[in-house]
Amino acid sequence: MKVFLGQRAWLVQRASALTLLLLVALGAALLLLGPALNHERWHALATSAHGAVIIVLFFAALSLHGWVGARDIVLDYVPSTAARLSVLSIVAAILFAVVIRVALTMAAHLSPVS
Amino acid sequence: MHISIYRYDPDSGENPRMQDYAIELAPGDRKLLDVLMRLKDVDDSLSFRRSCREGVCGSDGMNINGRNGLACMTSLSALKEPVVLHPLPGFPVIRDLVVDMTQFFAHYHAIKPYLIDDGTPPEREHLQTPEQRERLDGLYECILCACCSAFCPSYWWNPDKFIGPAGLLQAYRFIADSRDTGTVERLAFLDDVYRLYRCRTIMNCTEVCPKGLSPSHAIERIRLELVRASS
Ligand code: SF4
Ligand code: SF4
Ligand code: FES
Repeated sequence: MKVFLGQRAWLVQRASALTLLLLVALGAALLLLGPALNHERWHALATSAHGAVIIVLFFAALSLHGWVGARDIVLDYVPSTAARLSVLSIVAAILFAVVIRVALTMAAHLSPVS
Repeated sequence: MHISIYRYDPDSGENPRMQDYAIELAPGDRKLLDVLMRLKDVDDSLSFRRSCREGVCGSDGMNINGRNGLACMTSLSALKEPVVLHPLPGFPVIRDLVVDMTQFFAHYHAIKPYLIDDGTPPEREHLQTPEQRERLDGLYECILCACCSAFCPSYWWNPDKFIGPAGLLQAYRFIADSRDTGTVERLAFLDDVYRLYRCRTIMNCTEVCPKGLSPSHAIERIRLELVRASS
Protein backbone atom coordinates (compact mmCIF):
# COMPACT_ATOMS: atom_id res chain seq x y z
CA MET A 1 0.00 0.00 0.00
CA LYS A 2 1.19 3.47 -0.78
CA VAL A 3 1.29 5.52 2.40
CA PHE A 4 2.31 8.76 0.75
CA LEU A 5 0.20 9.64 -2.23
CA GLY A 6 1.65 11.30 -5.27
CA GLN A 7 -0.92 12.88 -7.48
CA ARG A 8 -3.64 13.51 -4.92
CA ALA A 9 -1.35 15.45 -2.61
CA TRP A 10 -0.17 17.50 -5.54
CA LEU A 11 -3.76 18.27 -6.54
CA VAL A 12 -4.64 19.23 -2.97
CA GLN A 13 -1.65 21.55 -2.93
CA ARG A 14 -2.66 23.24 -6.19
CA ALA A 15 -6.36 23.45 -5.34
CA SER A 16 -5.74 24.85 -1.86
CA ALA A 17 -3.30 27.42 -3.27
CA LEU A 18 -5.94 28.52 -5.76
CA THR A 19 -8.59 28.69 -3.04
CA LEU A 20 -6.28 30.81 -0.88
CA LEU A 21 -5.67 33.17 -3.75
CA LEU A 22 -9.39 33.55 -4.48
CA LEU A 23 -10.26 34.03 -0.81
CA VAL A 24 -7.56 36.65 -0.35
CA ALA A 25 -8.87 38.51 -3.42
CA LEU A 26 -12.43 38.21 -2.15
CA GLY A 27 -11.46 39.33 1.34
CA ALA A 28 -9.48 42.25 -0.01
CA ALA A 29 -12.41 43.31 -2.15
CA LEU A 30 -14.77 43.13 0.84
CA LEU A 31 -12.38 45.15 2.98
CA LEU A 32 -11.50 47.79 0.43
CA LEU A 33 -14.93 48.39 -1.02
CA GLY A 34 -17.26 50.08 1.36
CA PRO A 35 -16.90 52.49 4.25
CA ALA A 36 -13.75 53.26 6.19
CA LEU A 37 -12.07 50.40 8.00
CA ASN A 38 -12.58 51.11 11.66
CA HIS A 39 -13.14 48.72 14.51
CA GLU A 40 -16.90 48.51 13.97
CA ARG A 41 -16.46 47.62 10.31
CA TRP A 42 -13.86 44.92 11.08
CA HIS A 43 -16.14 43.53 13.74
CA ALA A 44 -19.21 43.55 11.53
CA LEU A 45 -17.33 41.83 8.70
CA ALA A 46 -15.82 39.17 10.91
CA THR A 47 -19.09 38.32 12.63
CA SER A 48 -21.21 38.33 9.49
CA ALA A 49 -22.07 34.94 7.99
CA HIS A 50 -20.12 35.45 4.76
CA GLY A 51 -17.14 36.90 6.64
CA ALA A 52 -17.07 33.87 8.93
CA VAL A 53 -17.29 31.46 6.01
CA ILE A 54 -14.42 33.18 4.24
CA ILE A 55 -12.26 33.10 7.35
CA VAL A 56 -12.96 29.44 8.15
CA LEU A 57 -12.44 28.40 4.52
CA PHE A 58 -9.21 30.38 4.46
CA PHE A 59 -7.80 28.57 7.46
CA ALA A 60 -8.98 25.20 6.16
CA ALA A 61 -7.25 25.78 2.80
CA LEU A 62 -4.18 27.10 4.62
CA SER A 63 -4.03 23.96 6.74
CA LEU A 64 -4.35 21.65 3.76
CA HIS A 65 -1.67 23.57 1.92
CA GLY A 66 0.55 23.57 4.98
CA TRP A 67 -0.02 19.84 5.41
CA VAL A 68 1.29 18.98 1.94
CA GLY A 69 4.21 21.36 2.40
CA ALA A 70 5.11 19.91 5.80
CA ARG A 71 4.78 16.39 4.40
CA ASP A 72 7.19 17.29 1.59
CA ILE A 73 9.73 18.63 4.06
CA VAL A 74 9.40 15.53 6.23
CA LEU A 75 9.78 13.23 3.21
CA ASP A 76 13.03 14.97 2.30
CA TYR A 77 14.63 15.56 5.66
CA VAL A 78 13.28 12.94 8.06
CA PRO A 79 14.33 9.50 6.83
CA SER A 80 13.34 7.35 9.83
CA THR A 81 9.77 6.06 9.78
CA ALA A 82 9.19 6.49 13.50
CA ALA A 83 10.40 10.11 13.45
CA ARG A 84 8.31 10.80 10.36
CA LEU A 85 5.23 9.44 12.03
CA SER A 86 5.71 11.56 15.14
CA VAL A 87 6.51 14.77 13.27
CA LEU A 88 3.57 14.29 10.89
CA SER A 89 1.18 13.49 13.74
CA ILE A 90 2.21 16.64 15.58
CA VAL A 91 1.82 18.75 12.44
CA ALA A 92 -1.57 17.21 11.67
CA ALA A 93 -2.77 17.74 15.24
CA ILE A 94 -1.69 21.39 15.24
CA LEU A 95 -3.23 22.15 11.83
CA PHE A 96 -6.45 20.39 12.76
CA ALA A 97 -6.63 22.21 16.10
CA VAL A 98 -6.13 25.56 14.38
CA VAL A 99 -9.03 24.98 11.99
CA ILE A 100 -11.34 23.75 14.77
CA ARG A 101 -10.38 26.66 16.97
CA VAL A 102 -11.05 29.18 14.20
CA ALA A 103 -14.37 27.55 13.34
CA LEU A 104 -15.50 27.51 16.99
CA THR A 105 -14.46 31.11 17.51
CA MET A 106 -16.26 32.28 14.41
CA ALA A 107 -19.40 30.33 15.35
CA ALA A 108 -19.38 31.74 18.86
CA HIS A 109 -19.20 35.31 17.64
CA LEU A 110 -21.56 35.03 14.73
CA SER A 111 -23.98 37.93 14.99
CA PRO A 112 -27.62 36.73 15.16
CA VAL A 113 -28.75 38.91 12.25
CA SER A 114 -27.02 38.23 8.98
CA MET B 1 44.72 30.56 -18.54
CA HIS B 2 44.32 29.60 -14.87
CA ILE B 3 42.32 26.51 -14.09
CA SER B 4 41.62 25.03 -10.70
CA ILE B 5 40.55 21.40 -10.85
CA TYR B 6 39.10 19.07 -8.24
CA ARG B 7 41.46 16.13 -7.81
CA TYR B 8 40.58 12.94 -6.03
CA ASP B 9 42.12 9.51 -6.18
CA PRO B 10 40.39 7.08 -3.82
CA ASP B 11 43.30 4.61 -4.08
CA SER B 12 45.78 7.13 -2.68
CA GLY B 13 43.90 7.43 0.60
CA GLU B 14 44.27 11.20 0.43
CA ASN B 15 41.47 13.73 0.76
CA PRO B 16 40.18 15.48 -2.34
CA ARG B 17 42.01 18.73 -3.13
CA MET B 18 41.96 21.51 -5.71
CA GLN B 19 44.92 21.65 -8.05
CA ASP B 20 45.83 24.83 -9.88
CA TYR B 21 47.09 24.75 -13.44
CA ALA B 22 48.37 27.56 -15.63
CA ILE B 23 48.37 26.90 -19.35
CA GLU B 24 49.01 29.07 -22.39
CA LEU B 25 46.14 29.04 -24.84
CA ALA B 26 47.01 27.64 -28.26
CA PRO B 27 45.63 29.32 -31.40
CA GLY B 28 43.16 26.49 -32.01
CA ASP B 29 41.68 26.45 -28.49
CA ARG B 30 38.00 27.31 -28.60
CA LYS B 31 36.28 25.19 -26.00
CA LEU B 32 37.13 24.20 -22.46
CA LEU B 33 37.64 20.60 -23.58
CA ASP B 34 40.48 21.68 -25.89
CA VAL B 35 42.37 23.00 -22.89
CA LEU B 36 41.58 19.95 -20.76
CA MET B 37 42.94 17.65 -23.46
CA ARG B 38 46.19 19.60 -23.59
CA LEU B 39 46.39 19.57 -19.78
CA LYS B 40 46.07 15.81 -19.96
CA ASP B 41 49.21 15.76 -22.15
CA VAL B 42 51.10 17.59 -19.42
CA ASP B 43 49.61 15.75 -16.45
CA ASP B 44 48.34 12.33 -17.47
CA SER B 45 47.03 11.60 -13.97
CA LEU B 46 44.16 14.03 -14.63
CA SER B 47 40.95 12.09 -15.30
CA PHE B 48 37.81 13.17 -17.11
CA ARG B 49 35.45 11.60 -19.63
CA ARG B 50 35.04 12.75 -23.18
CA SER B 51 34.32 11.18 -26.50
CA CYS B 52 32.58 13.03 -29.32
CA ARG B 53 33.95 16.49 -28.38
CA GLU B 54 30.92 18.11 -30.04
CA GLY B 55 27.99 17.87 -27.64
CA VAL B 56 26.58 14.58 -28.82
CA CYS B 57 27.78 11.81 -26.50
CA GLY B 58 27.04 13.54 -23.21
CA SER B 59 30.12 12.21 -21.44
CA ASP B 60 31.93 15.38 -20.40
CA GLY B 61 29.33 16.90 -18.10
CA MET B 62 31.03 18.70 -15.21
CA ASN B 63 30.61 21.66 -12.93
CA ILE B 64 32.25 24.67 -14.56
CA ASN B 65 32.51 27.80 -12.41
CA GLY B 66 29.56 26.64 -10.37
CA ARG B 67 27.37 25.67 -13.29
CA ASN B 68 26.94 22.25 -14.86
CA GLY B 69 27.81 22.03 -18.52
CA LEU B 70 29.64 20.14 -21.22
CA ALA B 71 33.31 21.02 -21.48
CA CYS B 72 33.15 20.56 -25.25
CA MET B 73 30.31 23.09 -25.58
CA THR B 74 31.70 25.71 -23.22
CA SER B 75 33.49 28.54 -24.98
CA LEU B 76 36.75 29.62 -23.38
CA SER B 77 36.02 33.25 -24.16
CA ALA B 78 32.99 33.25 -21.89
CA LEU B 79 34.81 31.85 -18.86
CA LYS B 80 35.93 33.87 -15.86
CA GLU B 81 39.39 33.01 -14.51
CA PRO B 82 40.44 31.04 -12.64
CA VAL B 83 38.15 28.44 -14.19
CA VAL B 84 37.02 26.19 -11.33
CA LEU B 85 36.12 22.64 -12.31
CA HIS B 86 34.29 20.16 -10.09
CA PRO B 87 32.72 16.81 -10.85
CA LEU B 88 28.92 16.80 -11.30
CA PRO B 89 27.50 17.74 -7.87
CA GLY B 90 25.66 15.07 -5.93
CA PHE B 91 27.14 12.18 -7.88
CA PRO B 92 29.65 9.78 -6.29
CA VAL B 93 33.15 10.60 -7.53
CA ILE B 94 35.18 7.78 -9.03
CA ARG B 95 38.23 9.88 -9.72
CA ASP B 96 38.84 13.60 -10.39
CA LEU B 97 36.05 14.72 -12.75
CA VAL B 98 34.76 11.20 -13.42
CA VAL B 99 31.54 10.39 -11.57
CA ASP B 100 29.60 7.19 -11.04
CA MET B 101 26.50 7.29 -13.28
CA THR B 102 25.11 3.89 -12.19
CA GLN B 103 22.13 5.27 -10.32
CA PHE B 104 21.42 7.86 -12.98
CA PHE B 105 21.17 5.15 -15.64
CA ALA B 106 19.20 2.87 -13.34
CA HIS B 107 16.51 5.59 -13.26
CA TYR B 108 16.71 5.86 -17.02
CA HIS B 109 16.17 2.12 -17.43
CA ALA B 110 13.32 2.18 -14.91
CA ILE B 111 11.20 4.43 -17.16
CA LYS B 112 11.48 1.83 -19.98
CA PRO B 113 13.24 3.97 -22.57
CA TYR B 114 11.92 2.10 -25.58
CA LEU B 115 8.69 1.91 -27.56
CA ILE B 116 6.04 -0.34 -26.06
CA ASP B 117 3.70 -1.54 -28.79
CA ASP B 118 1.07 -4.11 -27.88
CA GLY B 119 -0.70 -3.93 -31.23
CA THR B 120 0.06 -5.88 -34.36
CA PRO B 121 3.39 -4.74 -35.70
CA PRO B 122 3.02 -2.76 -38.91
CA GLU B 123 4.09 -4.37 -42.16
CA ARG B 124 6.86 -1.85 -42.60
CA GLU B 125 7.38 1.16 -40.35
CA HIS B 126 5.09 3.01 -37.95
CA LEU B 127 3.81 6.09 -39.69
CA GLN B 128 3.46 9.41 -37.92
CA THR B 129 1.87 12.62 -39.07
CA PRO B 130 4.17 15.64 -39.04
CA GLU B 131 2.25 16.90 -35.99
CA GLN B 132 2.77 13.65 -34.10
CA ARG B 133 6.45 13.78 -34.92
CA GLU B 134 6.64 17.38 -33.80
CA ARG B 135 5.52 16.43 -30.30
CA LEU B 136 8.86 14.70 -29.83
CA ASP B 137 10.84 17.85 -30.52
CA GLY B 138 12.58 19.09 -27.41
CA LEU B 139 12.50 15.57 -25.99
CA TYR B 140 14.41 13.24 -28.29
CA GLU B 141 17.49 15.50 -28.36
CA CYS B 142 18.48 14.64 -24.79
CA ILE B 143 21.98 13.16 -24.66
CA LEU B 144 21.78 11.95 -21.04
CA CYS B 145 24.68 14.10 -19.93
CA ALA B 146 23.13 14.40 -16.43
CA CYS B 147 23.87 18.12 -16.21
CA CYS B 148 20.22 18.67 -15.25
CA SER B 149 19.82 15.94 -12.65
CA ALA B 150 23.13 16.94 -11.07
CA PHE B 151 21.83 20.52 -10.76
CA CYS B 152 18.48 19.58 -9.23
CA PRO B 153 18.20 20.06 -5.45
CA SER B 154 15.42 17.48 -5.28
CA TYR B 155 17.72 14.96 -6.95
CA TRP B 156 20.51 15.80 -4.50
CA TRP B 157 18.20 14.93 -1.59
CA ASN B 158 16.66 11.79 -3.03
CA PRO B 159 18.93 10.43 -5.78
CA ASP B 160 17.86 6.88 -4.98
CA LYS B 161 14.11 7.46 -5.26
CA PHE B 162 13.46 10.57 -7.37
CA ILE B 163 13.88 9.79 -11.05
CA GLY B 164 15.24 13.24 -11.71
CA PRO B 165 14.75 15.64 -14.63
CA ALA B 166 16.70 13.62 -17.22
CA GLY B 167 14.79 10.39 -16.58
CA LEU B 168 11.46 12.21 -16.44
CA LEU B 169 12.12 14.03 -19.70
CA GLN B 170 12.82 10.64 -21.27
CA ALA B 171 9.69 9.21 -19.67
CA TYR B 172 7.62 11.94 -21.28
CA ARG B 173 9.37 11.39 -24.59
CA PHE B 174 7.68 7.95 -24.73
CA ILE B 175 4.38 9.10 -23.25
CA ALA B 176 4.20 11.74 -25.98
CA ASP B 177 5.05 9.26 -28.74
CA SER B 178 2.02 8.40 -30.87
CA ARG B 179 3.46 4.95 -31.61
CA ASP B 180 3.74 3.97 -27.96
CA THR B 181 0.85 2.08 -26.36
CA GLY B 182 2.32 1.93 -22.87
CA THR B 183 1.06 5.31 -21.63
CA VAL B 184 -1.23 3.89 -18.92
CA GLU B 185 1.46 1.69 -17.44
CA ARG B 186 4.04 4.48 -17.71
CA LEU B 187 1.79 6.95 -15.90
CA ALA B 188 0.95 4.40 -13.21
CA PHE B 189 4.66 3.91 -12.59
CA LEU B 190 5.29 7.64 -12.34
CA ASP B 191 2.37 8.45 -10.02
CA ASP B 192 4.55 8.22 -6.97
CA VAL B 193 5.43 10.73 -4.31
CA TYR B 194 9.14 10.06 -4.86
CA ARG B 195 9.57 9.15 -8.51
CA LEU B 196 7.77 12.19 -9.94
CA TYR B 197 6.42 14.37 -7.18
CA ARG B 198 9.75 15.22 -5.54
CA CYS B 199 10.05 17.83 -8.30
CA ARG B 200 9.29 21.26 -6.83
CA THR B 201 9.48 23.13 -10.09
CA ILE B 202 12.73 24.79 -9.07
CA MET B 203 13.63 24.72 -12.80
CA ASN B 204 17.38 24.45 -12.33
CA CYS B 205 17.19 21.62 -14.86
CA THR B 206 15.81 23.78 -17.64
CA GLU B 207 18.16 26.59 -16.74
CA VAL B 208 21.24 24.42 -17.09
CA CYS B 209 20.55 21.96 -19.93
CA PRO B 210 23.37 22.40 -22.47
CA LYS B 211 21.05 21.22 -25.24
CA GLY B 212 18.47 23.89 -24.43
CA LEU B 213 15.81 21.37 -23.44
CA SER B 214 13.21 21.86 -20.73
CA PRO B 215 12.82 18.89 -18.39
CA SER B 216 10.62 20.94 -16.06
CA HIS B 217 8.17 21.51 -18.91
CA ALA B 218 8.12 17.77 -19.63
CA ILE B 219 7.50 17.10 -15.93
CA GLU B 220 4.57 19.52 -15.97
CA ARG B 221 3.16 17.66 -18.98
CA ILE B 222 3.42 14.34 -17.13
CA ARG B 223 1.50 15.84 -14.21
CA LEU B 224 -1.19 17.09 -16.56
CA GLU B 225 -1.37 13.69 -18.29
CA LEU B 226 -1.86 12.12 -14.86
CA VAL B 227 -4.66 14.54 -14.07
CA ARG B 228 -6.29 13.75 -17.40
CA ALA B 229 -5.89 10.01 -16.85
CA SER B 230 -7.51 10.15 -13.43
CA SER B 231 -10.50 12.29 -14.34
S1 SF4 C 1 17.80 17.08 -20.45
FE1 SF4 C 1 19.58 18.25 -21.10
S2 SF4 C 1 20.86 18.37 -19.27
FE2 SF4 C 1 19.41 16.75 -18.92
S3 SF4 C 1 20.46 14.89 -19.53
FE3 SF4 C 1 19.26 15.60 -21.29
S4 SF4 C 1 20.65 16.87 -22.47
FE4 SF4 C 1 21.59 16.60 -20.46
S1 SF4 D 1 12.08 21.60 -12.02
FE1 SF4 D 1 11.98 19.70 -10.86
S2 SF4 D 1 13.38 18.35 -11.86
FE2 SF4 D 1 13.88 20.44 -12.56
S3 SF4 D 1 15.50 21.14 -11.17
FE3 SF4 D 1 13.54 21.73 -10.35
S4 SF4 D 1 12.94 20.12 -8.90
FE4 SF4 D 1 14.54 19.34 -10.25
S1 FES E 1 32.60 15.13 -25.46
FE1 FES E 1 30.71 14.32 -26.12
S2 FES E 1 29.29 15.74 -25.30
FE2 FES E 1 31.18 16.66 -24.81
